[in-house]
Amino acid sequence: MRFRSGAAYYLKKLAAFALSVFVLSAAVFALSRLAPGDPLVSYYGERAEKMSPQERERTMERLGLNAPLHVQYVRWLQGALRGEMGISFKYKQDVLEVIALRLPNTLLLGGIGFVLLFVLSLLLGVLCAWHEDGPLDRVVCRAGTVLSCIPEFWLSLLLILIFCVTLKWLPSSGAYTIGRAGDVLDRARHLILPLVVVVGSHLWYYAYMIRNKLLEEARADYVLLLRAKGLRKRAIVFGHCLRGILPSYLSLMAISVPHVMGGTYIVETVFSYPGLGTLTYESARYHDYNTLMVLCLLTGVTVIFCNMLGQVLSERVDPRIRREEAPVEVNAP
Amino acid sequence: MPDLLEVNRLSVRFDTPEGRILAVRDVSFSLAEGEVLAIVGESGCGKSVLCKAIARLLPKSAHVEAESILLDGVNLAGRSEREMCRLRGKLFSMVFQDPLTALDPTLPIGRQIAEAVTVHNRRLPRRAVERRVLELMDLVGMEQPQEKARMYPHQFSGGMRQRSAMAIALAASPRLLFADEPTTALDVTIQAQILDLLRDVQRKLHTSTVLVSHDLGVVARVADRVAVMYAGRIVETGTAEEVFYDPRHPYTWGLMRALPALAIEEGRPLSPIPGMPPTLLAPPRGDPFACRNEYALAIDYEQEPPLMRVSDTHWAATWLLDPRAPRISPPLGGIPHA
Repeated sequence: MRFRSGAAYYLKKLAAFALSVFVLSAAVFALSRLAPGDPLVSYYGERAEKMSPQERERTMERLGLNAPLHVQYVRWLQGALRGEMGISFKYKQDVLEVIALRLPNTLLLGGIGFVLLFVLSLLLGVLCAWHEDGPLDRVVCRAGTVLSCIPEFWLSLLLILIFCVTLKWLPSSGAYTIGRAGDVLDRARHLILPLVVVVGSHLWYYAYMIRNKLLEEARADYVLLLRAKGLRKRAIVFGHCLRGILPSYLSLMAISVPHVMGGTYIVETVFSYPGLGTLTYESARYHDYNTLMVLCLLTGVTVIFCNMLGQVLSERVDPRIRREEAPVEVNAP
Repeated sequence: MPDLLEVNRLSVRFDTPEGRILAVRDVSFSLAEGEVLAIVGESGCGKSVLCKAIARLLPKSAHVEAESILLDGVNLAGRSEREMCRLRGKLFSMVFQDPLTALDPTLPIGRQIAEAVTVHNRRLPRRAVERRVLELMDLVGMEQPQEKARMYPHQFSGGMRQRSAMAIALAASPRLLFADEPTTALDVTIQAQILDLLRDVQRKLHTSTVLVSHDLGVVARVADRVAVMYAGRIVETGTAEEVFYDPRHPYTWGLMRALPALAIEEGRPLSPIPGMPPTLLAPPRGDPFACRNEYALAIDYEQEPPLMRVSDTHWAATWLLDPRAPRISPPLGGIPHA
């Protein structure tokens, strides 16, 4: 019985997920093709401009770009379902290979950024809540409001100006110095500034959310009973309030994945960091349709998945929104 | 009997953006060992704030001033939060109004009771804690404690949650229990059960109890002594018999006449007290009750009456008790004690 309702629940989620991805793919497909520009430039470079109309016609036909939009989409969909995502116009290579080459760079930047955000925002949030309305709390909240309003690209440029141009401490672009791809330290040096931007521009917002959640929790009625039974502030905050906000924290962090990802993409572009962000930007700019589709889907799937994950997580952790009513296994006192 | 609790001249002030609120004004009272004192009054009269001020559970915006708060020989006034933490639960404890929100929703009941057991006795072995939790759950009348200990608050009814809260409050065998409207949020049938439980536990453990309530019916069931509060002050205090059978303050008369049970008995319509309690932001001059009081004297608008003696245990703050006051025929009271 419990299994069946659980399965139905996940099936429903899965269906919603599939539908969202389908709608997303159709929308991106249509939008990318409606955008003005010449996809042949991406494939042939400058030669495309010197082509005769007949030549153009033939190449368009060959690349399958002449058919009506819906036919193209159905063709693309058929290929996609077989796992053939087409070739990149720009790199003349299987799209998946092009992406696989860049993916580790983005995973490294985004992954470290996310973990840092995950840990630091909680620490900072707890710290602020602990010293509520104290000088530290005020400074962090004010500075955070200002910092989170600074656009990422501008912050990146500013940091490049200070640390790369003026002080010459850190490299301004790329993922590693050419010829030293395996050097961990060199990679780390290239990661510092992008990480600072990715984490720095989102940290405050999440720390502030966690602080407020925690303070709200600390004003809950049950805290009075905890205090009445003689518990110290530390025991209340770490033993109860943090537990109470865990669902919101986890879903907040799941939702932050797309944010971090978006931030990573922008930062990659500014720092010419060879990751998915730069690739997405290029493929959109040069009408590299197949690459763009895969990248958008990849990003979209991550976003949708993380949002759903946030929801499922909060349901699992909070006993009140847990679906089964039967007492769950917990170690008895 | 020696006094367990002695509160001397306690005042609580809230500084809000709108101004200064005097929630409790110069309140003194005492409580004997094993006694149940009921504090009654309308909402906002400061009865709940009074308890929380003694337990030091008010938010930071509250300023508590007291000459002394002696609890079992310990002066609570001016103690640091650290010291209060050590005393809370052990010396005194508290049960709150709304059992729906009083428990941590994320932990099973057993764990929450166990925490209250271990907080003042960290070295207690696991088995002993477990035994104590089951014992407490049994004490507050929770059947099948083994099973219930593993359940979460949301799986409990209101009555069962209030029982759990009682078990938590009683975990470290406090000398004094504050019960802040413990039955207000419950169904009427459950109210009676919880009250009986309160009385039962109080008799068994000999815990002194301060019961806050706005319901005189509830109070009549359990209280040894009654203190009536109005606008932050105690306006009448005495044994339950004195206050119920021979009330002297016009406000107490009003409360009694507003009791449905009494009105039905006397075959008259309910007579509510006219008007609203004054806002404590800008209390009127003189007696704050004067404008709602049909027996108000001219002096009531000028000067607040002090507590005047009726008997050694019975005091009331009304000018009607002054020898110079005109004779009136009270609507209630004067009934010889049963």
